Amino acid sequence: MDVLGNYKSVISARSTDKDITKQSQDGGIITTLFAYALEEGIIDGAIVAGPSEEPWKPEPVVATTKAELLAAAGTRYTISPNLYLIKEATRSYGLDRVGIVGTPCQMQAVRKAQLYPIGMRDVDDKIALALGIFCMENLSYQALEAIVEDHCNQKMESVKKMDIGKGKFTVYTERGAVSQMPLKLIHKYVQPGCNVCLDYVANLADISSGSVGSPDGWSTVFVRSMKGNAVWDGAIAAGCFETKPMDQVKPGLDLVTKLATEKITKNQKNVDARKTFGLKADGTPKGLRNPYETP
Amino acid sequence: MSKVVEISPTTRHEGHSKLVLKVNDDGIIERGDWLSITPVRGVEKLAIGKTMEQVPKIASRVCGICPIAHTLAGIEAMEASIGCEIPEDAKLLRYILQCANRMHSHAIHNILSLPDMYIPGTDVKINPFTKEEPVRSVALRIQRLREIGQTIGEIVGGEAIHPSNPRVGGMYKNITPRAKAKIYDLAKESRVLAQEQMEFMIAVFRNYQNRDWSEVGGVEVPITKDLGYHNQGYMATAPVYGSSSLDETPMWFPDRFTEVRPWDWYMGEVEISEADPNYPIGGTTPVGNKAWPQMEACTGVPLYDGQPVEVGPRARLVQFKNYDEKGAMGLQIARQMEFPETAYGIIDALDALDPSGSVLADEIPQGDGSFGWAANEAPRGTDVHMAKVKDGRVEYFGMLVPTTWNFPTCSRALTGAPWRLAEVIMRAYDPCVSCATHMLVIDEDKRLVAQKLIQ
Repeated sequence: MDVLGNYKSVISARSTDKDITKQSQDGGIITTLFAYALEEGIIDGAIVAGPSEEPWKPEPVVATTKAELLAAAGTRYTISPNLYLIKEATRSYGLDRVGIVGTPCQMQAVRKAQLYPIGMRDVDDKIALALGIFCMENLSYQALEAIVEDHCNQKMESVKKMDIGKGKFTVYTERGAVSQMPLKLIHKYVQPGCNVCLDYVANLADISSGSVGSPDGWSTVFVRSMKGNAVWDGAIAAGCFETKPMDQVKPGLDLVTKLATEKITKNQKNVDARKTFGLKADGTPKGLRNPYETP
Repeated sequence: MSKVVEISPTTRHEGHSKLVLKVNDDGIIERGDWLSITPVRGVEKLAIGKTMEQVPKIASRVCGICPIAHTLAGIEAMEASIGCEIPEDAKLLRYILQCANRMHSHAIHNILSLPDMYIPGTDVKINPFTKEEPVRSVALRIQRLREIGQTIGEIVGGEAIHPSNPRVGGMYKNITPRAKAKIYDLAKESRVLAQEQMEFMIAVFRNYQNRDWSEVGGVEVPITKDLGYHNQGYMATAPVYGSSSLDETPMWFPDRFTEVRPWDWYMGEVEISEADPNYPIGGTTPVGNKAWPQMEACTGVPLYDGQPVEVGPRARLVQFKNYDEKGAMGLQIARQMEFPETAYGIIDALDALDPSGSVLADEIPQGDGSFGWAANEAPRGTDVHMAKVKDGRVEYFGMLVPTTWNFPTCSRALTGAPWRLAEVIMRAYDPCVSCATHMLVIDEDKRLVAQKLIQ
């Protein structure tokens, strides 16, 4: 199985915009791409994970300016239901070309909504740019609270940045404290749906991006679709990014492949295990629905 | 000796209806019965016990042509019952929805009525689907008007069909300044198109009025000068929007409304004694078949001051703009005259709209079971919804929809016309039959009908 999906090119990149890289998690790829697309009129607005009233709890917002994009930059390790706004963006927000960012599962939902636009009248043709982010697993907000407040022993309000890398979950606070916990301890908090997900690098996005495979402060970028390619080429020509070939950076594409294989192999086992999960009245295995097969 | 003709089903309108016509030897209608044969929806019974939030949404599902009218009338009936005043900006959003719906609906009706008409100055009937000019550009203009109406409905209402944004107490969301600008652009475009479309359609209908004959199923039928004339009254509650029992001066009066059963109104059982197999779309019902209008009609017959009344574009123009042209073409022309107002109405409402204003009432009472009604001027006439809400639950719900009013009125307008033109008269009313079919009120008469139906 091809664990990285179809892509036209893969490259390591970093935004040249200092305002963005100050706020962003790694290379600032998503924020810069949306800012470029907004400026060029490729999109009218983007659905991004904006700030909410609670610390580190993302809330989907429709960003139509760079300032709004910057407020939403950076990773929050809990899900932001961005699809919730996809229809409203074309309605009371009055957008004709919508950009959306999301995890691999959200990209699957976007494509499904385009393929079978049931309840999505006049939405499917208005999705202009779908950006995906790498995702190993996701946490509920309560789980994130437990990890930060209990395991890492920091207050959510004081946290400046959260990061996952090198087998550790790291929390940086305003006052300079750094608290770490081993990544394997957070597995029990993972949302159940993540255990059957077979997509690590957002195979269905126009462009997908994540830190894995690139040096600190850089991101790995997969350019996947024709549309994504056009936007990426335009952004490069406009000087939005500095880039390095993937085979010249450490740790390189091999790590992405390794992690993707790990995730998919582990989750494939869960998918298979579900085939015999539970028993029917006559004693035969009942099996849970396999999301990757048509019933 | 009169003969009986049955045209079943009638075509090029929404829903399922038929015409049973008693005609004289010259083919002139002596008595016409136009009746709905769409199966009963039962929305009024489904509504009982549901929350007041749900019922307007269910009610709008009665049909997909004017769901906006049903949603708004349903919601405002609930608001009238509980006594809830909504913010000004919510009213403006609803007004925009209303205009957008009317623009779309009138445009689609143009497509339905054009095939009866002739290209002015020729004996060529209009086929709206031909690729040839001048018809092609008209068809494109109609579709663009529909697209604009539906898009505005989608932005303001959340959905073009069955709007999700209106709610009891106002609206769920206001629109953004960006959306407001987009609607402005669309409305300005439609303003020009609607004017052109109105002028074209009026020219076509005037041409039909001046013709001596029209070809129907290979027969040249003389067009009578009083085609579709009737002497019934008109009922309208507002030029554009509507009225409700919360208004200072309500424009509709429940006391003046009575209803009779179809059993007491329509013809008894008749045998079809004349038929034309060449009549468009499969011919009329063959000789020897039976028709029984009083049994088959699926609507009640609503009366206002004891008489059937006409509702719709002409009724609005007669009540509020001193319009006085009678007949089927008079009604068609009245409908076209409403076209430009839809675009101007949207622009005016947008001028007044504050996109950052609140669109939800601060307090939404849960209702004490008092009676409330709301009338919405749907594209095809006054749509009255009545409700009683107690503690947030609907105790009683009734829909008096436009075409229910028009069924008996149009039946009278058929008298004196050649039977082959009966459908032309009927189509002038822009019938929307499926919502007109509604649950009968249980009373002595109903039991009588029910017993007869069982026998």
